[in-house]
Amino acid sequence: MNSRSRRPSTYEVLREHGFDRRSFLKYCTVTAAAMGLDASMVPKVVEAMETKPRIPVIWLHGLECTCCSESFIRSSHPIAQDVVLNMISLDYDDTLQAAAGFQVEEIRKGLIQQARDGKGEYILAVEGNAPTADGGIYCTVGGDTFLNILLETAEHAKAVVAWGSCASNGCVQAARPNPTGAKPVHELIHGKPVINVPGCPPIAEVMTGVLTYILTFDRLPELDRQGRPKMYYGQRIHDKCYRRAFFDAGQFVEAWDDDGAREGWCLYKMGCRGPSTYNSCSTMKWNNGVSFPIGSGHGCIGCSENNFWDNGPFYERLSMVPLPGVESTPDQIGKTAAVVAGVGVAAHFTAFLARKAMAKGKEGESGSGEKE
Amino acid sequence: MASVVKPLDPADAAARPHRYFRRQYVWQWPIRIYHWVNAVCVTVLFSTGLYIASPILAPAGEPVQHFVMARFRQIHFVFAFLFLINFLWRIYWFWMGNNYARSGFPFFWRPQWWRDLFRQAFGYMRFHAGHIHLGHNALGGLAYTIFVIALGWAQIFTGLALYSESSPSGFWGGVVGWVIPLLGGSFQVRMWHHLFAWGFVFFAILHIYIILYDGLQYRNGLLTSMASGEKFFKDGDLEHDTWIS
Ligand code: SF4
Repeated sequence: MNSRSRRPSTYEVLREHGFDRRSFLKYCTVTAAAMGLDASMVPKVVEAMETKPRIPVIWLHGLECTCCSESFIRSSHPIAQDVVLNMISLDYDDTLQAAAGFQVEEIRKGLIQQARDGKGEYILAVEGNAPTADGGIYCTVGGDTFLNILLETAEHAKAVVAWGSCASNGCVQAARPNPTGAKPVHELIHGKPVINVPGCPPIAEVMTGVLTYILTFDRLPELDRQGRPKMYYGQRIHDKCYRRAFFDAGQFVEAWDDDGAREGWCLYKMGCRGPSTYNSCSTMKWNNGVSFPIGSGHGCIGCSENNFWDNGPFYERLSMVPLPGVESTPDQIGKTAAVVAGVGVAAHFTAFLARKAMAKGKEGESGSGEKE
Repeated sequence: MASVVKPLDPADAAARPHRYFRRQYVWQWPIRIYHWVNAVCVTVLFSTGLYIASPILAPAGEPVQHFVMARFRQIHFVFAFLFLINFLWRIYWFWMGNNYARSGFPFFWRPQWWRDLFRQAFGYMRFHAGHIHLGHNALGGLAYTIFVIALGWAQIFTGLALYSESSPSGFWGGVVGWVIPLLGGSFQVRMWHHLFAWGFVFFAILHIYIILYDGLQYRNGLLTSMASGEKFFKDGDLEHDTWIS
């Protein structure tokens, strides 16, 4: 490998790994399609992969469960599966790297140093997030807090990719009451482009697609208001769900074992979060397109949405109203308010009538009415 | 007493004007139209909204034969836009209408407004009639500001944000899409939209009661004023509403 003088391009790496040009072109086509590009863009992808040197990626792991990595390495396309890891030149990944200890910290420091000196660049991929309470001591890696490592590595990164719901919006460790003060990456890193790739975990092809996009086009994909790539998070599960016909018809599963469930009716009333979840599950599906939660008869739990853990219970359509001291659903609050208003009105009117009757009685005695 | 109908004696009316009701055209036709369109919209929106949140009809057969949920949503959207246009129309008339069209505004920087607010609140509690307001009294105006205007805006923004979700990069997504991250995600927007909707029910109960009670207590023709536009008052009543200016 001539990596000392120049970093090899993706194509060169793929050839080294024994892929022929035909599979390479196929891979480019599939990737372009997955990124939502039209066929005319395929030559651009090919050209970029042939000529652009690979950018190293530093992959950090904070407070997380590694489900993102698990998803990532199960990318279904053979090249993605085998080679994406090579393609992105994963120079530092606590979970996947062979090296350990000081050696591996040296790699990370070296890359940072190079970027600082203007001799190289790298992309930071973060899996998990950083607890900020008590100086960040609830997650330490190699003797330092993850918070420090994250900030230090992010400073010279070209861009930051926040993998999964942990990094994008906090996930379970940031759910109320969030004892460790866990914060998603975009709340900690400022002045850097941060791409959120939420999901618990995100779909493997989405992850590889995002990285491929950045590496091939040398720019970030178009992001929405919440920093998510529009090509994968531009639509709701619900808008592409194959059960949508049942939704529009008004045919809903009422219990897990009723006829509707057997007929494959819509899971809306079982708490499906598809109508409020932006992700690609209903189009790309999971595990090489085998299925996705709704396809397996379970509602979507909205794992790629902000604070989805706090939006429970998962089998109800509405959550508790998130106000301090309130443990009720909007319907309970609304009905209570209506009853209070009704009772108040009735009481007021009764009192009014009683007073009127009393006044009348008095008037009858003394002959002088109340001022009108 | 109030229920005694006396034939009008012009000499008596001139001598004791405070005993006789007079008539004033208060609510101009745009206001009255706004009111009834709004009432219909809120009723339709609330009931279709209840179905959308918890669909209770379950038609049997194949989905191609039915379009129940989609129809409910369609009606909800149509009336939502009617509500929006009507709402903007009312705001326009706030500027273009007569002084009474502005009398509901909370003039909280005017001491007279606060005085009227408390006087009205205590009046209701102690069953005192006080004087007749031709426009809104301060308490009523405050209630409309909160439950019609503020709540209306809240429903418009959350509702349009939810509406925009089927096409986030479309027109409405560009105009109100920011509401979704602001409230912490699409699911929370739904939750608030649903909670706010109950505010209209709460308001409607109090509103209808107060209209009836006021009409009984003051004999000001409040109930029919939303049809005819006219309210009744006695001499002396008009001197009080100084805070409206
Ligand atoms: S199952 Fe869920 S995502 Fe699919 S149509 Fe029903 S509510 Fe929408």
